Amino acid sequence: MAILVDKNSKIMVQGITGGAGKFHTKRMLEYGTNIVGGTSPGKGGQDVEGKPVYDTVAECVKGTGADTSVIFLPAQFVKEAAIEAIRAGVKFVVVVPEHIPIHDMLLVRKEAMKQNCTVLGGNTAGIITPGEANLGIMPDIAFKPGRVGTVSRSGSITYYIANTLTDSGYGETTCVGLGGDPILGSTFDEILWKFEQDDKTKAVVMTGEIGGVYEERACDTISKMKTPVIVMVGGIFAPLGKRMGHAGAIVEGKMGTAKEKLDALASAGAHPAKTFLDIPKILEKLGV
Amino acid sequence: MRLYEHEGKKLFADFKIPIPEGKVAASPNEVDSIAKELNKPLVLKSQVLTGGRGKAGGIKLVDNPSDAKKVAEDLFKLKIKGFPVEKLLVEPKLDIKQEIYLGVTIDRLNYKLVVIASAEGGVDIEETAEKSPDKITRRSFDIDEQLYTFDAIGIAKAVGIPSELVKSAASIIINLFKVFKAYDAKLAEINPLVITGDGKLIAADSRISLDDDATFRHPNLAEMGIEKRHEEGEMTPREQQAEEWGIPYLDLDGNIGMFPGGAGFGIMGNDFLHYYGGKPANFMDSGGGPSPERLAKMLVLLDDNPNVKAIFGARFGGISRCDDFAKGVIMFLEDHGLSKPMVCRMTGNMWQEGVRMFAEAKKENPELFKQFEFHGIETPIEEISKRAVELASEAEGGK
Repeated sequence: MAILVDKNSKIMVQGITGGAGKFHTKRMLEYGTNIVGGTSPGKGGQDVEGKPVYDTVAECVKGTGADTSVIFLPAQFVKEAAIEAIRAGVKFVVVVPEHIPIHDMLLVRKEAMKQNCTVLGGNTAGIITPGEANLGIMPDIAFKPGRVGTVSRSGSITYYIANTLTDSGYGETTCVGLGGDPILGSTFDEILWKFEQDDKTKAVVMTGEIGGVYEERACDTISKMKTPVIVMVGGIFAPLGKRMGHAGAIVEGKMGTAKEKLDALASAGAHPAKTFLDIPKILEKLGV
Repeated sequence: MRLYEHEGKKLFADFKIPIPEGKVAASPNEVDSIAKELNKPLVLKSQVLTGGRGKAGGIKLVDNPSDAKKVAEDLFKLKIKGFPVEKLLVEPKLDIKQEIYLGVTIDRLNYKLVVIASAEGGVDIEETAEKSPDKITRRSFDIDEQLYTFDAIGIAKAVGIPSELVKSAASIIINLFKVFKAYDAKLAEINPLVITGDGKLIAADSRISLDDDATFRHPNLAEMGIEKRHEEGEMTPREQQAEEWGIPYLDLDGNIGMFPGGAGFGIMGNDFLHYYGGKPANFMDSGGGPSPERLAKMLVLLDDNPNVKAIFGARFGGISRCDDFAKGVIMFLEDHGLSKPMVCRMTGNMWQEGVRMFAEAKKENPELFKQFEFHGIETPIEEISKRAVELASEAEGGK
C-alpha cells in the first residue's frame, strides 16, 4: 500500500511532446512508473517513448484508462490543463511547473474539490512511491521502499529526509511534495489524513516552512491521528518580513512564524525534530 | 508587485471608483504649478512603496496653495523607511466626516476571496482586526463567484453606511472586487474610503498588490507606465546584483555565506547554522537545474561580500547533477578564486563523480583549493554545518 500513486496507477503526461515532458517521461518510465500515454493538442496520433499521444485528456482517458496526470506545461497553460484533466475524470493531478497565477490555482482547487480530485503543486518536485511509481522530477537515488511517509513543500528537503530514512533502514511508503507556490492544490492536513488511512505507513515526517499557511491547518488532523507525526519547520531563525525563497514564503500580517508553527504542531501531538539526524532517533523512541 | 498610490487610483478611476482630482509631481516646481491650478487647500502625499507614510511625515496638509512649493522641497528630501521620495501626489484637501476601510484580499487557507470592511478606516486594519474583531465585516467568495449588489449593500449596511449612501457604497465595493479580479490582485484596498462633509464617498488612498506571476496577461500595465518592481523594502546593492543575475538572494546579518541547492534547504540550512552557534550572511536559492555559470556567479556574490567569513555549500544532486555542480565550483575557483574558507558537501545524483572532479582539479592546481574542503555522502550535512560555523569563528578570531 501507499498513498495517491502505486504500481497500478495509470499515469498520463500533459505536455508529453515538450522538452521537459519528453525528458521526464523517459525518466519516469525507466523507474518503472506506469505511464500509459499523454496529450499535446495538435499532435494526436504521434508517440513518445512508445506511448500514445492524444489531442485531449478525454481521448487519452478513453484510450488508455488514465486516472492520474502529471503536467509539464508553461505556467500560463496550467489552469486549462488541470481543469481539463479534472473534468475528464482524472483523480490525481501533479502540477510540476512553478509560478502558477494565484487566481488560476484558486479556480483549479475549486474544480478539484467539486470532482473529488487531488491536485499537488504548483512548483512541486512531485511524488514518489519507492519501487512503484515516480511522478515529477525527483531523482530516485534517495528513496527505498519502507514504512515512513513524508510530506513537505520542497524537493531538496524531501531528498534529505528520504535519504535519512533510507540510510537508517526505515525506508518510505510515499513521499509527497506539496509544492513551493503560494497557493497549493493540496494541504498538509489532507495528505496527512491519507497517510493515516494507509496501513503500511507507520509514521509520517512533515516539513513545514516559514511563510506557509497550511501548517497550522494540520494541527487538528494531527491531534486525531493514530500514526505518529514527526515535524520540522524551516525558517525558525529567519528575519521577519524578509522574503525567502519559495514564492509563498513571506511572513505577512498575522501569519505564524516558523517557531509559532512548530509550537502549534508540537502541542497538537507532533514530535519536533531539529535536524535530519533527529528523525531516526525519534522513530526509534516511538518504536516504529 | 505593489503599486504606487497614484497608480492604484488610476485603476480605480478606470473602474469608476471616485478619487480626488489630483496630479503627480516629480519636482517642487511641478507641485507649484499643480497647486496654482487647483488653487485650494491641498494635501501633498509622498509616493513610496511602504506603509506608515503619515507617521514618517510623508503627508502634509497645505492650506495656502502658494506654500506648496516650499513644503514639497522638504518632502523631496525625505527618506521613508529607506525609500527616497521621488514623486508627490498633489490633491485637494478632503473635508472628512468619516473614514471607512474597504479591502479585497485572498484567504489562502480557505481558498477564497475575502471582502473586508470596517467603519473604522484610516488606521492599521490588522490592529483593528486583532483588538476589536467585532468592528470588522468579512464576506468570502469563490474565485468564480459574482459579488451581487445585494451582497455589497449588505456589506455597506454592516459597517453602518447611511441609507442615502448605500447604493454608491455598493457600487464602489463591486468595482473594487472587479479591479481585484481584472488585474490578478493579491490585495486591493481603499483605506480610507472617505465620507465627505457634503455627503459623498471618495477613495482617499489606494493600496494594490498584484500577483507577479500573472503580469503576463496584463500588458496594459506597462502601457500605463506601471513596470515590474521590487515588492517592498529597499534592496541592498548585492541583492540588486543578484536580481540582475536572476538569483533569489537576500542579505542577512551573519557571517557564513550560504551556497545551497533549492529554497527548502536554503531556509532549513540557515536554521542548522543557528543550532550550531553560527549565523548565515544570506539566503540564496540556486533554482532548479542551475548552469555552472550560474553556480559560479552565486559564489562570486559570497566571495565578494566582506561580511562573509566562510562559505557553506550543499548540493543534493537531483535532476541537477553533482558533476555539473562541481563544474560550476571549479569554474569559480579558476576564474575568480576563493579568498575565504569554504566547506562543501555533495550527495545524490553523481556525487562520486563530483568528488572525483574536485580531487582531480585539486591535483592539477592545489593552490586554488587551499581553502576549500569537500565532502561526499559519508559526512552528514549536520557535520558540515558545524564545520562551517567553526571555520567562520576561526576566521573572525584570526582577524
